[in-house]
Amino acid sequence: MAEHSGMVDPVIFEFLQAKVDQESAISEELQEIVTTLEKQVRSAKAILSRAHSTPVAEVGNVITAAESSIRYEIDSIEKLSKAASEHPYYKWQFKWTHQVQDTIFTILFCGWLGGYTGEGEEAKPGKLLTIEEVGKIMKVPVNLKDRDAFHITIQEYLLSLVSLLDELARLARNCVTLGDYRRPLQISNFLKDVQAGFLVLNLKNDILRRRSDGIKYKVKEVEDVVYDLSLRNLLPAADT
Amino acid sequence: MEDTDPKAASPIMAMFEGFRSELDEHHDRRERIVKSSRDITAASKKIIFALQRVRKLNAPIPQNVKKTYTPHADVIASQFGSISKDVQGLHAYLYQSQISPGIQEWMESVAFEHYLLTQKLISYEGAREKLEALGNAQGGGPVLLTHEDYLLGLFDFVGEVMRFAVTNMATLYSFRKETGAPTQKPELPPQRRAAGSAMEVDTDTSATREQSVVEDMQELRMRLEQLDMPHYTPFGKNVDKKMEVMQQCVDKVEKAAYGLVVRGSERPKGWMPDLSANTEAVEAY
Repeated sequence: MAEHSGMVDPVIFEFLQAKVDQESAISEELQEIVTTLEKQVRSAKAILSRAHSTPVAEVGNVITAAESSIRYEIDSIEKLSKAASEHPYYKWQFKWTHQVQDTIFTILFCGWLGGYTGEGEEAKPGKLLTIEEVGKIMKVPVNLKDRDAFHITIQEYLLSLVSLLDELARLARNCVTLGDYRRPLQISNFLKDVQAGFLVLNLKNDILRRRSDGIKYKVKEVEDVVYDLSLRNLLPAADT
Repeated sequence: MEDTDPKAASPIMAMFEGFRSELDEHHDRRERIVKSSRDITAASKKIIFALQRVRKLNAPIPQNVKKTYTPHADVIASQFGSISKDVQGLHAYLYQSQISPGIQEWMESVAFEHYLLTQKLISYEGAREKLEALGNAQGGGPVLLTHEDYLLGLFDFVGEVMRFAVTNMATLYSFRKETGAPTQKPELPPQRRAAGSAMEVDTDTSATREQSVVEDMQELRMRLEQLDMPHYTPFGKNVDKKMEVMQQCVDKVEKAAYGLVVRGSERPKGWMPDLSANTEAVEAY
Protein backbone atom coordinates (compact mmCIF):
# COMPACT_ATOMS: atom_id res chain seq x y z
CA MET A 1 0.00 0.00 0.00
CA ALA A 2 2.78 2.41 -0.87
CA GLU A 3 0.91 4.41 -3.49
CA HIS A 4 2.36 7.89 -3.75
CA SER A 5 -1.05 9.48 -3.88
CA GLY A 6 -1.25 8.94 -0.14
CA MET A 7 -0.67 11.39 2.65
CA VAL A 8 3.09 11.15 2.75
CA ASP A 9 5.31 12.03 -0.15
CA PRO A 10 8.07 9.41 0.23
CA VAL A 11 10.66 12.00 -0.78
CA ILE A 12 10.13 13.65 2.62
CA PHE A 13 11.38 10.61 4.45
CA GLU A 14 14.12 9.83 1.98
CA PHE A 15 15.41 13.30 2.66
CA LEU A 16 15.19 12.85 6.42
CA GLN A 17 16.99 9.53 6.28
CA ALA A 18 19.74 11.01 4.13
CA LYS A 19 20.12 13.86 6.59
CA VAL A 20 20.31 11.51 9.56
CA ASP A 21 22.88 9.31 7.81
CA GLN A 22 24.96 12.29 6.84
CA GLU A 23 25.04 13.50 10.43
CA SER A 24 26.03 10.10 11.73
CA ALA A 25 28.97 10.20 9.32
CA ILE A 26 30.02 13.64 10.53
CA SER A 27 29.64 12.50 14.10
CA GLU A 28 31.90 9.50 13.52
CA GLU A 29 34.52 11.56 11.77
CA LEU A 30 34.67 14.01 14.65
CA GLN A 31 34.55 11.25 17.24
CA GLU A 32 37.67 9.66 15.83
CA ILE A 33 39.66 12.85 16.30
CA VAL A 34 38.19 13.45 19.73
CA THR A 35 39.08 9.91 20.87
CA THR A 36 42.69 10.47 19.85
CA LEU A 37 42.73 13.82 21.59
CA GLU A 38 41.35 12.22 24.71
CA LYS A 39 44.28 9.80 24.86
CA GLN A 40 46.75 12.61 24.35
CA VAL A 41 45.08 14.62 27.10
CA ARG A 42 45.52 11.68 29.46
CA SER A 43 49.25 11.45 28.68
CA ALA A 44 49.76 15.18 29.13
CA LYS A 45 47.85 15.12 32.42
CA ALA A 46 49.91 12.17 33.63
CA ILE A 47 53.12 14.03 32.92
CA LEU A 48 51.84 17.19 34.57
CA SER A 49 50.77 15.32 37.67
CA ARG A 50 54.44 14.60 38.30
CA ALA A 51 54.62 18.22 39.38
CA HIS A 52 52.97 17.13 42.62
CA SER A 53 55.93 14.99 43.55
CA THR A 54 58.74 16.97 41.97
CA PRO A 55 60.76 19.52 43.98
CA VAL A 56 60.46 22.98 42.58
CA ALA A 57 64.10 23.00 41.51
CA GLU A 58 63.49 20.10 39.13
CA VAL A 59 60.09 21.12 37.89
CA GLY A 60 61.73 22.35 34.68
CA ASN A 61 61.96 18.76 33.48
CA VAL A 62 58.27 18.27 34.01
CA ILE A 63 57.56 21.43 32.04
CA THR A 64 59.73 20.37 29.11
CA ALA A 65 58.11 16.94 29.01
CA ALA A 66 54.63 18.44 29.34
CA GLU A 67 55.22 20.97 26.58
CA SER A 68 56.23 18.27 24.14
CA SER A 69 53.29 16.10 25.21
CA ILE A 70 50.91 19.00 24.71
CA ARG A 71 52.23 19.38 21.17
CA TYR A 72 50.47 16.12 20.31
CA GLU A 73 47.24 17.50 21.69
CA ILE A 74 47.69 20.54 19.51
CA ASP A 75 48.15 18.34 16.44
CA SER A 76 44.77 16.83 17.16
CA ILE A 77 43.25 20.21 17.82
CA GLU A 78 44.48 21.29 14.41
CA LYS A 79 42.78 18.31 12.78
CA LEU A 80 39.65 18.90 14.82
CA SER A 81 39.61 22.56 13.91
CA LYS A 82 39.84 21.73 10.24
CA ALA A 83 37.12 19.06 10.34
CA ALA A 84 34.82 21.01 12.65
CA SER A 85 35.00 24.23 10.68
CA GLU A 86 33.17 22.47 7.84
CA HIS A 87 30.06 22.43 10.00
CA PRO A 88 28.14 24.84 12.21
CA TYR A 89 30.33 25.21 15.29
CA TYR A 90 27.71 25.03 18.00
CA LYS A 91 25.93 22.12 16.39
CA TRP A 92 28.84 19.84 17.25
CA GLN A 93 30.61 21.63 20.07
CA PHE A 94 29.21 19.15 22.59
CA LYS A 95 31.33 16.42 21.03
CA TRP A 96 34.68 17.95 21.82
CA THR A 97 34.13 20.58 24.46
CA HIS A 98 35.28 18.37 27.36
CA GLN A 99 38.46 17.33 25.62
CA VAL A 100 39.15 20.89 24.51
CA GLN A 101 38.64 22.10 28.08
CA ASP A 102 41.09 19.45 29.25
CA THR A 103 43.59 20.56 26.64
CA ILE A 104 43.26 24.17 27.78
CA PHE A 105 43.72 22.99 31.34
CA THR A 106 46.98 21.19 30.53
CA ILE A 107 48.25 24.35 28.84
CA LEU A 108 47.17 26.57 31.73
CA PHE A 109 48.78 24.28 34.29
CA CYS A 110 51.97 23.97 32.30
CA GLY A 111 52.04 27.75 31.91
CA TRP A 112 51.45 28.27 35.62
CA LEU A 113 54.34 25.98 36.49
CA GLY A 114 56.56 28.14 34.31
CA GLY A 115 56.08 26.72 30.85
CA TYR A 116 55.44 28.70 27.68
CA THR A 117 58.08 31.27 28.41
CA GLY A 118 59.30 33.35 25.51
CA GLU A 119 62.79 32.85 24.05
CA GLY A 120 65.51 34.02 26.40
CA GLU A 121 63.06 34.89 29.16
CA GLU A 122 63.44 33.39 32.56
CA ALA A 123 60.76 30.88 33.49
CA LYS A 124 58.32 32.60 35.81
CA PRO A 125 55.99 30.31 37.70
CA GLY A 126 52.60 31.51 38.86
CA LYS A 127 51.41 33.16 35.68
CA LEU A 128 47.98 32.88 34.18
CA LEU A 129 47.94 32.50 30.42
CA THR A 130 45.19 34.63 28.92
CA ILE A 131 42.62 33.17 26.56
CA GLU A 132 44.43 34.85 23.68
CA GLU A 133 47.75 33.26 24.70
CA VAL A 134 46.09 29.87 25.00
CA GLY A 135 44.54 30.35 21.56
CA LYS A 136 47.94 31.16 20.12
CA ILE A 137 49.49 28.06 21.67
CA MET A 138 46.62 25.92 20.37
CA LYS A 139 46.78 27.70 17.01
CA VAL A 140 43.04 28.36 17.00
CA PRO A 141 40.98 31.56 17.18
CA VAL A 142 39.29 32.50 20.44
CA ASN A 143 35.86 33.90 21.16
CA LEU A 144 34.85 34.12 17.51
CA LYS A 145 31.83 36.24 16.78
CA ASP A 146 31.92 37.27 13.17
CA ARG A 147 32.25 33.90 11.49
CA ASP A 148 31.25 30.32 12.10
CA ALA A 149 34.43 28.30 12.55
CA PHE A 150 36.23 26.31 15.20
CA HIS A 151 37.47 28.32 18.16
CA ILE A 152 37.68 28.21 21.91
CA THR A 153 35.01 29.98 23.86
CA ILE A 154 35.17 32.11 26.98
CA GLN A 155 33.14 29.49 28.81
CA GLU A 156 35.58 26.76 27.90
CA TYR A 157 38.50 28.87 29.05
CA LEU A 158 36.82 29.71 32.34
CA LEU A 159 35.86 26.11 33.03
CA SER A 160 39.46 25.06 32.41
CA LEU A 161 40.55 27.81 34.75
CA VAL A 162 38.38 26.34 37.51
CA SER A 163 40.11 23.00 36.91
CA LEU A 164 43.45 24.75 37.27
CA LEU A 165 42.40 26.12 40.66
CA ASP A 166 41.42 22.63 41.80
CA GLU A 167 44.78 21.33 40.71
CA LEU A 168 46.66 24.12 42.43
CA ALA A 169 44.86 23.53 45.71
CA ARG A 170 46.17 20.00 45.57
CA LEU A 171 49.62 21.27 44.65
CA ALA A 172 49.69 23.58 47.65
CA ARG A 173 49.54 20.65 50.06
CA ASN A 174 52.03 18.59 48.10
CA CYS A 175 54.52 21.46 48.04
CA VAL A 176 54.53 21.43 51.81
CA THR A 177 55.18 17.69 51.80
CA LEU A 178 58.15 18.31 49.56
CA GLY A 179 59.43 20.95 51.97
CA ASP A 180 58.53 23.89 49.78
CA TYR A 181 56.89 26.45 52.08
CA ARG A 182 56.98 29.29 49.62
CA ARG A 183 54.62 28.15 46.90
CA PRO A 184 51.49 27.67 49.06
CA LEU A 185 51.49 31.38 49.67
CA GLN A 186 51.95 32.09 45.99
CA ILE A 187 49.11 29.69 45.18
CA SER A 188 46.90 31.27 47.80
CA ASN A 189 47.37 34.72 46.28
CA PHE A 190 46.78 33.40 42.78
CA LEU A 191 43.56 31.67 43.79
CA LYS A 192 42.30 34.81 45.47
CA ASP A 193 43.04 36.90 42.39
CA VAL A 194 41.16 34.53 40.15
CA GLN A 195 38.34 34.23 42.66
CA ALA A 196 37.98 38.00 42.64
CA GLY A 197 37.76 37.79 38.87
CA PHE A 198 34.95 35.25 39.01
CA LEU A 199 33.11 37.45 41.47
CA VAL A 200 32.68 40.22 38.90
CA LEU A 201 30.90 37.85 36.52
CA ASN A 202 27.12 37.74 36.56
CA LEU A 203 26.70 34.02 36.37
CA LYS A 204 23.41 32.40 35.56
CA ASN A 205 22.31 29.02 36.68
CA ASP A 206 24.54 26.99 34.40
CA ILE A 207 27.59 24.77 34.44
CA LEU A 208 29.96 27.70 34.87
CA ARG A 209 28.04 28.82 37.92
CA ARG A 210 28.10 25.37 39.46
CA ARG A 211 31.78 24.85 38.82
CA SER A 212 32.78 28.29 40.03
CA ASP A 213 30.76 27.84 43.21
CA GLY A 214 33.47 25.40 44.26
CA ILE A 215 36.25 27.97 44.07
CA LYS A 216 35.64 29.27 47.56
CA TYR A 217 36.31 25.85 49.05
CA LYS A 218 39.57 25.62 47.16
CA VAL A 219 40.57 29.06 48.37
CA LYS A 220 39.82 27.96 51.89
CA GLU A 221 41.81 24.74 51.51
CA VAL A 222 44.87 26.69 50.50
CA GLU A 223 44.31 29.29 53.22
CA ASP A 224 44.31 26.45 55.71
CA VAL A 225 47.67 25.28 54.41
CA VAL A 226 49.08 28.78 54.70
CA TYR A 227 47.59 29.06 58.19
CA ASP A 228 49.18 25.78 59.25
CA LEU A 229 52.52 27.03 58.00
CA SER A 230 52.28 30.43 59.62
CA LEU A 231 51.17 28.91 62.91
CA ARG A 232 54.39 26.95 63.02
CA ASN A 233 56.49 29.83 61.76
CA LEU A 234 57.33 27.92 58.62
CA LEU A 235 56.51 30.67 56.14
CA PRO A 236 59.58 32.12 54.46
CA ALA A 237 60.26 35.42 56.19
CA ALA A 238 61.14 37.63 53.23
CA ASP A 239 58.04 36.71 51.27
CA THR A 240 54.76 38.61 50.89
CA MET B 1 35.54 45.97 49.79
CA GLU B 2 38.48 48.27 50.27
CA ASP B 3 40.68 45.91 48.29
CA THR B 4 38.77 46.35 45.02
CA ASP B 5 40.83 49.27 43.88
CA PRO B 6 44.28 47.70 43.69
CA LYS B 7 42.71 44.54 42.27
CA ALA B 8 40.96 46.42 39.49
CA ALA B 9 44.37 47.28 38.16
CA SER B 10 45.46 43.64 37.99
CA PRO B 11 45.54 42.11 34.54
CA ILE B 12 43.41 39.21 35.73
CA MET B 13 40.70 41.61 36.77
CA ALA B 14 40.83 43.47 33.48
CA MET B 15 40.45 40.18 31.63
CA PHE B 16 37.44 39.19 33.72
CA GLU B 17 35.78 42.51 33.14
CA GLY B 18 35.97 41.83 29.43
CA PHE B 19 34.43 38.42 30.02
CA ARG B 20 31.67 39.94 32.08
CA SER B 21 30.27 42.07 29.30
CA GLU B 22 30.51 39.18 26.85
CA LEU B 23 28.71 36.82 29.19
CA ASP B 24 26.07 39.42 30.01
CA GLU B 25 25.29 39.86 26.34
CA HIS B 26 25.06 36.11 25.96
CA HIS B 27 22.72 35.73 28.91
CA ASP B 28 20.50 38.58 27.75
CA ARG B 29 20.13 37.04 24.32
CA ARG B 30 19.45 33.65 25.81
CA GLU B 31 16.76 35.02 28.09
CA ARG B 32 15.06 36.85 25.25
CA ILE B 33 15.02 33.66 23.23
CA VAL B 34 13.68 31.54 26.08
CA LYS B 35 10.87 34.01 26.59
CA SER B 36 10.00 34.12 22.90
CA SER B 37 10.14 30.37 22.69
CA ARG B 38 7.62 30.12 25.52
CA ASP B 39 5.30 32.63 23.89
CA ILE B 40 5.53 30.80 20.59
CA THR B 41 4.75 27.52 22.31
CA ALA B 42 1.70 28.96 24.04
CA ALA B 43 0.37 30.61 20.87
CA SER B 44 0.94 27.44 18.83
CA LYS B 45 -1.02 25.41 21.37
CA LYS B 46 -3.90 27.87 21.07
CA ILE B 47 -3.81 27.62 17.30
CA ILE B 48 -3.95 23.85 17.49
CA PHE B 49 -6.84 24.11 19.90
CA ALA B 50 -8.71 26.35 17.47
CA LEU B 51 -7.93 24.05 14.56
CA GLN B 52 -9.40 21.10 16.43
CA ARG B 53 -12.78 22.71 15.83
CA VAL B 54 -12.44 22.11 12.11
CA ARG B 55 -14.82 19.37 10.99
CA LYS B 56 -13.93 18.93 7.38
CA LEU B 57 -10.72 17.63 5.91
CA ASN B 58 -9.23 18.89 2.69
CA ALA B 59 -11.12 22.15 2.79
CA PRO B 60 -10.36 25.80 3.61
CA ILE B 61 -10.26 26.66 7.30
CA PRO B 62 -13.75 27.95 8.27
CA GLN B 63 -14.08 31.65 9.02
CA ASN B 64 -14.94 31.24 12.70
CA VAL B 65 -11.84 29.14 13.35
CA LYS B 66 -9.69 31.57 11.43
CA LYS B 67 -10.95 34.41 13.56
CA THR B 68 -9.89 32.69 16.80
CA TYR B 69 -6.48 31.75 15.62
CA THR B 70 -5.39 34.92 13.80
CA PRO B 71 -4.32 36.81 16.95
CA HIS B 72 -2.17 33.85 17.99
CA ALA B 73 -0.61 33.64 14.55
CA ASP B 74 0.24 37.32 14.90
CA VAL B 75 1.97 36.65 18.22
CA ILE B 76 4.02 33.93 16.60
CA ALA B 77 4.98 36.14 13.69
CA SER B 78 6.07 38.99 15.92
CA GLN B 79 8.04 36.70 18.26
CA PHE B 80 9.93 35.01 15.46
CA GLY B 81 10.48 38.38 13.86
CA SER B 82 11.92 39.91 17.00
CA ILE B 83 14.29 37.10 17.96
CA SER B 84 15.53 36.29 14.48
CA LYS B 85 18.42 38.74 14.83
CA ASP B 86 19.59 36.83 17.91
CA VAL B 87 19.81 33.50 16.13
CA GLN B 88 21.83 34.37 13.06
CA GLY B 89 25.09 32.79 11.92
CA LEU B 90 27.10 31.34 14.76
CA HIS B 91 24.18 31.87 17.12
CA ALA B 92 21.72 29.73 15.18
CA TYR B 93 22.94 26.58 16.88
CA LEU B 94 24.20 28.24 20.07
CA TYR B 95 20.63 28.96 21.15
CA GLN B 96 19.11 25.92 19.52
CA SER B 97 18.14 24.25 22.77
CA GLN B 98 16.43 27.45 23.94
CA ILE B 99 14.37 28.04 20.83
CA SER B 100 13.77 24.43 19.91
CA PRO B 101 10.67 23.81 22.13
CA GLY B 102 8.92 26.75 20.51
CA ILE B 103 9.86 25.67 17.02
CA GLN B 104 8.66 22.13 17.64
CA GLU B 105 5.28 23.29 18.86
CA TRP B 106 5.05 25.68 15.93
CA MET B 107 5.98 22.83 13.61
CA GLU B 108 3.18 20.74 15.09
CA SER B 109 0.62 23.47 14.45
CA VAL B 110 1.86 24.09 10.93
CA ALA B 111 1.78 20.40 10.06
CA PHE B 112 -1.72 20.10 11.47
CA GLU B 113 -3.02 23.08 9.57
CA HIS B 114 -1.40 21.84 6.37
CA TYR B 115 -2.98 18.46 6.89
CA LEU B 116 -6.45 19.89 7.45
CA LEU B 117 -6.13 21.97 4.31
CA THR B 118 -4.65 19.38 1.99
CA GLN B 119 -4.69 16.00 3.75
CA LYS B 120 -0.96 15.83 3.04
CA LEU B 121 2.11 15.87 5.19
CA ILE B 122 3.99 19.14 4.96
CA SER B 123 7.51 18.66 3.60
CA TYR B 124 10.63 19.82 5.38
CA GLU B 125 11.24 22.34 2.61
CA GLY B 126 7.72 23.69 2.91
CA ALA B 127 8.04 24.15 6.65
CA ARG B 128 11.53 25.59 6.39
CA GLU B 129 10.34 28.22 3.93
CA LYS B 130 7.51 29.22 6.24
CA LEU B 131 9.85 29.64 9.18
CA GLU B 132 12.37 31.49 7.09
CA ALA B 133 9.70 33.92 5.97
CA LEU B 134 8.65 34.54 9.60
CA GLY B 135 12.24 35.31 10.53
CA ASN B 136 12.78 37.55 7.54
CA ALA B 137 9.56 39.51 8.03
CA GLN B 138 11.18 42.08 10.33
CA GLY B 139 14.51 42.04 8.55
CA GLY B 140 16.26 39.92 11.19
CA GLY B 141 17.15 37.11 8.82
CA PRO B 142 15.87 33.56 8.55
CA VAL B 143 15.23 31.37 11.57
CA LEU B 144 16.76 27.94 11.24
CA LEU B 145 14.54 24.88 11.11
CA THR B 146 16.63 21.84 11.95
CA HIS B 147 15.43 18.53 10.60
CA GLU B 148 15.40 17.35 14.22
CA ASP B 149 12.78 19.92 15.17
CA TYR B 150 10.85 19.14 12.03
CA LEU B 151 10.75 15.46 12.84
CA LEU B 152 9.97 15.88 16.52
CA GLY B 153 7.16 18.24 15.55
CA LEU B 154 5.76 15.54 13.27
CA PHE B 155 5.60 13.06 16.10
CA ASP B 156 3.52 15.46 18.15
CA PHE B 157 1.40 16.20 15.12
CA VAL B 158 0.25 12.56 15.11
CA GLY B 159 -1.32 13.23 18.50
CA GLU B 160 -3.36 16.06 17.01
CA VAL B 161 -4.50 13.91 14.11
CA MET B 162 -5.59 11.34 16.67
CA ARG B 163 -7.75 13.87 18.48
CA PHE B 164 -9.12 15.07 15.19
CA ALA B 165 -9.88 11.54 13.99
CA VAL B 166 -11.58 10.49 17.19
CA THR B 167 -13.76 13.56 17.60
CA ASN B 168 -14.74 13.53 13.96
CA MET B 169 -15.16 9.84 13.46
CA ALA B 170 -18.92 10.15 13.20
CA THR B 171 -18.72 12.96 10.68
CA LEU B 172 -16.04 11.35 8.62
CA TYR B 173 -17.96 8.12 8.69
CA SER B 174 -21.21 9.59 7.41
CA PHE B 175 -19.34 11.73 4.91
CA ARG B 176 -17.72 8.69 3.47
CA LYS B 177 -21.01 6.83 3.51
CA GLU B 178 -22.62 9.45 1.32
CA THR B 179 -19.94 10.37 -1.11
CA GLY B 180 -16.85 8.26 -0.55
CA ALA B 181 -16.94 4.60 -1.43
CA PRO B 182 -19.27 3.38 -4.13
CA THR B 183 -22.63 2.07 -2.92
CA GLN B 184 -22.18 -1.27 -1.27
CA LYS B 185 -23.54 -4.35 -2.92
CA PRO B 186 -26.09 -5.94 -0.60
CA GLU B 187 -24.78 -9.48 -1.19
CA LEU B 188 -21.50 -8.68 0.58
CA PRO B 189 -21.24 -10.08 4.12
CA PRO B 190 -21.97 -7.37 6.68
CA GLN B 191 -18.44 -7.15 8.15
CA ARG B 192 -16.94 -6.73 4.74
CA ARG B 193 -19.44 -4.08 3.79
CA ALA B 194 -18.79 -2.11 6.95
CA ALA B 195 -15.05 -2.33 6.58
CA GLY B 196 -15.25 -1.14 3.06
CA SER B 197 -17.42 1.82 3.74
CA ALA B 198 -16.12 3.09 7.03
CA MET B 199 -12.41 2.57 7.00
CA GLU B 200 -11.58 1.30 3.56
CA VAL B 201 -9.09 -1.14 4.93
CA ASP B 202 -9.68 -3.57 2.09
CA THR B 203 -7.31 -3.79 -0.80
CA ASP B 204 -9.33 -1.67 -3.17
CA THR B 205 -6.75 0.51 -4.88
CA SER B 206 -8.85 2.28 -7.43
CA ALA B 207 -7.27 5.62 -8.26
CA THR B 208 -10.21 7.72 -7.21
CA ARG B 209 -10.42 6.16 -3.78
CA GLU B 210 -9.88 8.60 -0.96
CA GLN B 211 -7.62 7.67 1.88
CA SER B 212 -9.14 7.78 5.34
CA VAL B 213 -7.57 9.49 8.32
CA VAL B 214 -6.79 6.09 9.84
CA GLU B 215 -4.90 5.11 6.75
CA ASP B 216 -3.05 8.43 6.80
CA MET B 217 -1.97 7.73 10.33
CA GLN B 218 -0.94 4.21 9.46
CA GLU B 219 1.10 5.45 6.56
CA LEU B 220 2.81 8.11 8.65
CA ARG B 221 3.46 5.57 11.39
CA MET B 222 5.09 3.23 8.91
CA ARG B 223 7.34 5.99 7.59
CA LEU B 224 8.34 7.12 11.06
CA GLU B 225 9.08 3.58 12.20
CA GLN B 226 11.09 2.95 9.09
CA LEU B 227 13.57 5.71 9.84
CA ASP B 228 16.94 4.42 10.90
CA MET B 229 17.93 6.61 13.81
CA PRO B 230 20.87 6.70 16.16
CA HIS B 231 19.73 5.69 19.64
CA TYR B 232 22.54 7.00 21.78
CA THR B 233 22.29 10.72 21.02
CA PRO B 234 19.98 13.08 22.90
CA PHE B 235 17.96 13.44 19.71
CA GLY B 236 17.75 9.67 19.29
CA LYS B 237 16.50 9.25 22.85
CA ASN B 238 13.90 11.90 22.27
CA VAL B 239 12.77 10.12 19.13
CA ASP B 240 12.51 6.80 20.96
CA LYS B 241 10.25 8.37 23.55
CA LYS B 242 8.04 10.08 21.02
CA MET B 243 7.89 6.97 18.86
CA GLU B 244 6.12 5.13 21.64
CA VAL B 245 3.58 7.90 22.18
CA MET B 246 2.99 8.09 18.44
CA GLN B 247 2.28 4.36 18.28
CA GLN B 248 -0.21 4.64 21.12
CA CYS B 249 -1.98 7.43 19.25
CA VAL B 250 -2.33 5.35 16.11
CA ASP B 251 -3.48 2.37 18.20
CA LYS B 252 -6.21 4.43 19.78
CA VAL B 253 -7.60 5.50 16.45
CA GLU B 254 -7.37 1.98 15.07
CA LYS B 255 -9.31 0.68 18.06
CA ALA B 256 -11.92 3.37 17.66
CA ALA B 257 -12.27 2.55 13.98
CA TYR B 258 -12.62 -1.11 14.82
CA GLY B 259 -15.33 -0.35 17.35
CA LEU B 260 -17.14 1.74 14.83
CA VAL B 261 -17.12 -1.02 12.25
CA VAL B 262 -18.17 -3.73 14.67
CA ARG B 263 -21.00 -1.71 16.13
CA GLY B 264 -21.87 -0.24 12.79
CA SER B 265 -22.46 -3.68 11.36
CA GLU B 266 -25.35 -4.19 13.77
CA ARG B 267 -27.16 -1.10 12.69
CA PRO B 268 -30.38 -1.11 10.74
CA LYS B 269 -30.16 0.42 7.32
CA GLY B 270 -29.95 4.21 7.41
CA TRP B 271 -29.27 4.37 11.13
CA MET B 272 -26.28 6.47 12.23
CA PRO B 273 -24.45 5.38 15.35
CA ASP B 274 -24.31 7.73 18.29
CA LEU B 275 -20.56 7.93 18.76
CA SER B 276 -20.31 10.19 21.75
CA ALA B 277 -19.98 7.31 24.21
CA ASN B 278 -17.52 5.54 22.02
CA THR B 279 -15.43 8.67 21.65
CA GLU B 280 -15.19 9.17 25.38
CA ALA B 281 -14.18 5.61 25.91
CA VAL B 282 -11.37 6.03 23.45
CA GLU B 283 -10.15 9.23 24.97
CA ALA B 284 -10.23 7.84 28.45
CA TYR B 285 -8.36 4.77 27.39
